[in-house]
Amino acid sequence: MNTSSSFKVFASPPLIFSSRPPKNASQNPRFSFKLPRFCPKTIRCMRDSLNLRSSPNAPSALSFATVEAPLGTETSDKLRILVSEFRSLTEPIDRVKRLLNYAADLAPLDDTARVSANRVTGCTTQVWLEIKMDEFGRMRFKADSDSEISKGFCSCLIWILDGAKPEEVMGVRSEDLSEMNVGVHGKEQSRVNTWQNVLMSMQKRTMTLVDADVAHRGGERPPHHHKHDLLFKYVNGSYMESSKVHHDYSISLLPLYYDFTI
Amino acid sequence: MEGVAMKLPSFKSLAPNAISIGHRSFSRVRRSSSLSVYSAASSSATVATNSESVSLGHRVRKDFRILHQEVNGSKLVYLDSAATSQKPAVVLDALQNYYEFYNSNVHRGIHYLSAKATDEFELARKKVARFINASDSKEIVFTRNATEAINLVAYSWGLLNLKPGDEVILTVAEHHSCIVPWQLVSEKTGAVLKYVMLNEDEVPDIDKLREMISPKTKLVAVHHVSNVLASCLPIEEIVVCAHNVGAKVLVDACQSVPHMVVDVQKLNADFLVASSHKMCGPTGIGFLYGRSDLLQSMPPFLGGGDMISDVFLDHSTYAEPPSRFEAGTPAIGEAIALGAAIDYLSEIGMPKIHEYEVELGKYLYGKLSALPDVRIYGPRPSESVHRGALCSFNVEGLHPTDLATFLDQQHGVAIRSGHHCAQPLHRYLGVNASARASLYFYNTKEDVDSFVVALADTVSFFNSFK
Repeated sequence: MNTSSSFKVFASPPLIFSSRPPKNASQNPRFSFKLPRFCPKTIRCMRDSLNLRSSPNAPSALSFATVEAPLGTETSDKLRILVSEFRSLTEPIDRVKRLLNYAADLAPLDDTARVSANRVTGCTTQVWLEIKMDEFGRMRFKADSDSEISKGFCSCLIWILDGAKPEEVMGVRSEDLSEMNVGVHGKEQSRVNTWQNVLMSMQKRTMTLVDADVAHRGGERPPHHHKHDLLFKYVNGSYMESSKVHHDYSISLLPLYYDFTI
Repeated sequence: MEGVAMKLPSFKSLAPNAISIGHRSFSRVRRSSSLSVYSAASSSATVATNSESVSLGHRVRKDFRILHQEVNGSKLVYLDSAATSQKPAVVLDALQNYYEFYNSNVHRGIHYLSAKATDEFELARKKVARFINASDSKEIVFTRNATEAINLVAYSWGLLNLKPGDEVILTVAEHHSCIVPWQLVSEKTGAVLKYVMLNEDEVPDIDKLREMISPKTKLVAVHHVSNVLASCLPIEEIVVCAHNVGAKVLVDACQSVPHMVVDVQKLNADFLVASSHKMCGPTGIGFLYGRSDLLQSMPPFLGGGDMISDVFLDHSTYAEPPSRFEAGTPAIGEAIALGAAIDYLSEIGMPKIHEYEVELGKYLYGKLSALPDVRIYGPRPSESVHRGALCSFNVEGLHPTDLATFLDQQHGVAIRSGHHCAQPLHRYLGVNASARASLYFYNTKEDVDSFVVALADTVSFFNSFK
């Protein structure tokens, strides 16, 4: 399985592959973030090769991702890259500009996908999120918004999560994103906190698709893995109950602190 | 010269006596700035003799320390008073002093502190009554905010008096707090909600409202001043029409009580609600005005202490209003601080505040409407149409949230974006959200100028990305 081509098609190009160099190229923030607690050699190599901006085939460096790596490393790496990128932008206005740049990179959403079922609830702006599970069981996302800044948020989230496994999607925590808040100074969940709302919607709808997938396969468990068990248990736990409820009183159905990268 | 500079230790021992002198002189005591924790500003509500050349906004600004700060590297320009107002130093002092010198539970104790607290709490109630010209302070029920006050009427009066087929008239421009409680109650009682739409001036159509009122109407619940459209409804006229068919009228005065003279006897409304935090008072307190005979007839809303007369195992008897509707320990300090806010506003004079805001509001409207691609909602100001001092607007091709974010990040200008708790209105206007700049008497022409310059910069910034 070659994920690199999939990444080309679906993911909006991350900053490191764009022609615009990052602000402080000399102080490369990518080397300053902490490694995950377990860090096999494969991950280090991937990190190094990600830095080869000069290589036109840079995306193929991501084929390292096909190597059996501990869950969540790829997604959490991308998350760290993005967080450190935003952290390096000390002027709030530069963050806004960066988000607007990312907004321009967002792949367009079909008009047919702009339906209320795809609306992300809890946002003051309108955000539509289309989510599918591909034939490999990976999550595919497309999004759009009537606000340019929200489009920028979606663009970033999709870069991190498009093509990720369901458990990687579930493993992202909202506090991981709090570093990237633009215009929302607080870290608490609120209507204006688009990052959180879109992430929660991605996670909630990932669960629905996993659930449907499991049911479709006659309820047989996914490939046996400790962490998959946790996912499966969760599917059979609180989410299942709430899916029977008619009125969705709360957008906080998911345990936001569920950490798969232990 | 009013007031005396005091060192804190002696002030402390003087404090209990200072209270008995009277609330107003208490609040005017100046503290030396090195000792004061919260504010060195004296009450500037006593207007200086050379006031003529300086606008009200400039004169009062020193009372609001929160306005003197920078956000994101720019001077703060606070244009969100319709969401919540800023509090002058005297209000903060009153709250602090309550907790520091005479905090005690009210209506229960016999000891000195408790008696003091009760006196001040009830004095605050009297101040509210006087402020809106209620005939009796017993007609003022303290609640957590206006939303709770409307819910009180809905669950207490509504559940008892609304029968299947009865009609409740609202407007499409109501705040959610004056829509949702009626929806909840109409579900339970079978009453029907009817909405008045806007006319071509983007104001609720009063002619249609008159037509809608029928013998089936039991309640008309309307805003006084709209928090989005800035329009002002002719409440007296509406009350006459409603009373003709025996219907009651509830006035949501959240955007009017802080900004102009509101006289409940003149309006002849049955219920009126307002929140403290929009009128220079603290959050956590609001009030319901209800005509005595109405409140007498209403069953309790929340049950607990204070609202009872006698409690037995199988039943209880209830207290007289307003206590009947005030279960549990109230927000005592907050009520007293609300009283201080009312004192502060009254010293400036509500007519003066209103006059200043009409002028500043016109200035804001004029400057905003001069910008290209800006669409302001609500009626155009004219001789006969006085808008509230706020403008909800949209800029062509720019989402209000993006606009507000940029204004905040780049210019330190605080406005609101979203649906302002008026989703039905926005749907009616055909938009998802709008931006809103709202003024209060501590804003100045310079604030409006800064806002307009910042807005023009914002629009050109986003246009450069297109």
